[in-house]
Formats: sequence, structure tokens, C-alpha cells
Amino acid sequence: MDGVSFRVARGEVFGLLGRNGAGKSSTLSAIEGLIAPRSGEVLLDGIDVRRHPVHAKARLGVQLQATSFQPQLTITQIVRLYAALYGVRMAGREVAEGLHGIGLGGEAGKAFKQLSGGQQQRLSLYIATVHQPALLLLDEPTVGLDPQSRRQLWARIEDVRERGGSILLTTHSMEEAEALCDRVAIIDRGALLTCETPRNLIEMHKHDPEVRKLAHGQVTLEDVFVGLTGSQIRE
Amino acid sequence: MNSRSPGSRPSLWLAFSALLRADLAVLIKNRRALLLSILLPIIVLALGSSSRESHHIGGPLSVIGLAIALGLISTSILGYALTIASDREQGVFQRLRVTPTPVWAIMTSRLTTQALANVLLALAVVIVGSVIHHLSITPGEYALVLLVSVLAGAVFLSIGQALVGLMKSADSVNAAARAVVVGLILLAAFGQRGSLGTTGGSITRWSPVGAVMTLFAAVLNTPAWDTRDSLSLLACAGYMLVFAAIGIKWFRWDAR
Repeated sequence: MDGVSFRVARGEVFGLLGRNGAGKSSTLSAIEGLIAPRSGEVLLDGIDVRRHPVHAKARLGVQLQATSFQPQLTITQIVRLYAALYGVRMAGREVAEGLHGIGLGGEAGKAFKQLSGGQQQRLSLYIATVHQPALLLLDEPTVGLDPQSRRQLWARIEDVRERGGSILLTTHSMEEAEALCDRVAIIDRGALLTCETPRNLIEMHKHDPEVRKLAHGQVTLEDVFVGLTGSQIRE
Repeated sequence: MNSRSPGSRPSLWLAFSALLRADLAVLIKNRRALLLSILLPIIVLALGSSSRESHHIGGPLSVIGLAIALGLISTSILGYALTIASDREQGVFQRLRVTPTPVWAIMTSRLTTQALANVLLALAVVIVGSVIHHLSITPGEYALVLLVSVLAGAVFLSIGQALVGLMKSADSVNAAARAVVVGLILLAAFGQRGSLGTTGGSITRWSPVGAVMTLFAAVLNTPAWDTRDSLSLLACAGYMLVFAAIGIKWFRWDAR
């Protein structure tokens, strides 16, 4: 990563777009404190993530790309554990109500691995928001979900935004970015190419020859993305 | 819901007690593995119950020491190291690390739970061993056994930690842990019987498993405590420090 700099406003849904290996997950890992950047800083509500990791992490909600919880625990135990790690004491009744609220009331005694992909994502998002974080980080949250589960997840992300939380998500789905994000940043080879609203990005690049070549009719965000990052396969 | 104000530092005690509860729940879920770990020492106790056999191994106290050492090797190296390697590979640690809980609390909780399992195992073996060998063990000796089982468990846990520190993949840790366990068991079984000759006997005596066995036998017969027992205590502390330093220095939370 080199020279990646952006700001996410309160109540904003901010999308980080990029090809595989572009640096999206590394950017999130730096914000989460999982990797230490050689230079630069990450500020969360004015708190330096590297200098004050505990205070910064307390303001963060995180859904990792490959979420894994202790396989031997039930989802009730997992919710209680992670709530406590964020300083939230939950009684058994509150956990049951919370699980019921995300449609997992009947699965309380199951292990995480026994849930379907959509159920796992709902639980992960619930755990990530149990402490009402200032910033919610979602790493490709809808990968592998059917359209119904994806729409349900989008609705939950909107709920977080309505409560005043900010959301930073990475995605490969341009449809998702257009539907959810107030602004998107496109990164490629570890560098930030552009940062704008999806509509403005299309307006700014709809006459680029590379983008025009890719468009089938009306220019979409995907045409702009491929035009900016190149159409050749690198892997 | 009893909630703190968003963004404030969460209570460390609340986090640590939740981690301990979760780790204990995992330990209880894995009770079959724990029971199997106790099975090996019980078999050793039963096999060593004839006076001829126990004489070969160095008497009933040595048999009990050997049995506890083998049980601790099994729970601490196989149980602990394999669980840590598997959780690391599955991303469990990464998920825990993005919470505000300090990493030392995550590891301390794991080690505390494992130490508790070790103490229970040692107690069970001493009780069964004293019945089989008709030994009368005083409350003071029981207390010493508990203390030594914590130290001995720490020696083998540090070996397990060194394995997960030096190897990243769960498969490598699995293979290496099994090789180390088999090596230590063979060393304990044959070295103690004198089958490996004088040099082999010395190596056994001052190996981690030999030092631990000597200590257990010594605390079950404190009036006979001698210089060799004190040196075994020092050897255990040394092994623990060296292996723990290796395991902590090279440990990576992420398997990638």
C-alpha cells in the first residue's frame, strides 16, 4: 500500500473497490490493527489506532472475510463471549432475543459451522454491531450469499447507518457498491486511483475511450471500474 | 443489556472471565480427549503395579511420576499445540485480535484452562496410583504434587508453544507434535528401565520428561529429597524458559 488516504464521514457507507490482491483487505487489516503500516496513520474519531489500539478497537465493529469462531461453542456462547469482549454484559434472555431478532432463534444451540452461509453472515454482523460501533468494517460481506440473503444484509447495513454508524466495506459487486455506498474508492496495485460517489464516477469517466469500449449501452460503475483497473487478467 | 458507553475501554475482568468461561466450555466439550489423556497414565500405573515391573522402573513413586509425565505430555503437547494451531489456521485468533481484548489475556486464558486440566489429571493419577500401589499420601504431598504438576505442565506447554511458534501450518504442527510425543514416551519408557545404557540413561534423566518424573517422585517422598532433585527442579525451570521464549518470539497469530 502506498499513499492510500481517505476519510469516512459519520453515517456514511464507504465502499473500497479493487481487483483481487489490490490491497483492500490489507487496508482493512491496517485499520483493524492486524498489520502495522510502515508509515502513515489511521485515526478513528481522532484516536490513533496504532498508539491506542484498545480504545480504537472498542469503537470498531469488524466482520472479517473468512469469519471463524471457536468451533466447539454454540452460537449463544459465541454471542455472550464477543459481547463481553466489547464490554457488553448480556443475560441469556437478551442473547435469545437478539438471536430471534436476526432469525436465528431456533439455532441457538448450534455451532457456527452448522449454520448456512446467510445465517453465518447475519450472526457475524450481529456480533460486529453488538456494541454499537462508530465504524463498522465489512470485508466482502455478501460473498456467496443468495439474492434474498444479500438484500437482507443490505437492510441491516442501512439500519446501522440510520443509527449513526459509519460503514467501510470492500466488495467485488458493483451492483452492491451502487446500491449501498455513498462514496467509493477504487484501489489498484496498492494505490488509490479515485474516490467519488458512484454517480459522479460514472459521469466523470463515461466518455473515456477505454470505458466506452467496455460499455454495452449505458455506462455502469463496473465499466468505469474495469476501464480504470484494466481488463486483462493478472492472476 | 448492561452496556458501557460506546468507545470507552471495556472492562478487562469482564473480557477475561468471558474468555475463561469459553475456554472451559471448549475443554468440557473436548472431555473425550481429556479422558483419553488420562487413560495412558492409568495403563502405565496398572502395568507397573507388579513389584517386579515397578522395581525395573525405579519403584512405585517413579511409576506414578512416569504416569503423570506421560499424561501431561499428551494434554500439553498434543492437546494444547494442536488446538492452537487449528484455531490459528481457522482464523479464530484473528477474530479475537480485532476485539479490544489484549492478546496476553487471550493466551493467559488458554494457558490457565490447560493448567487446570493438567492439575486435574495429576490429581487423578496420584489418587489411582496410591490405591494401586498401596501408598499413603499426606495432604502436604498432595499439595506438592499440584504445584509440581503446574510446573511440569508448564514445561510441556512451553514445548507445545515452541512447536506452534516454529511451524505455521496445523498439519506440520500435528506431525511434529506426534513425533515429539512418541520420542518423549520412548525416552521415558526405555531410558528409565536402563535399556538405553549409561549415556541413554543420563540423557533420559536430564531430558524434560526425566526431570519431571524425578520431581514427581521426589515430592511424593520429600524426606529423601537430594541434590539431584533440586537440579531436576532447575532443569524444569530452564526448559520452560527456553521453550517458552522460542514459542513466544516466533509465534504468529495468522497462519498465512
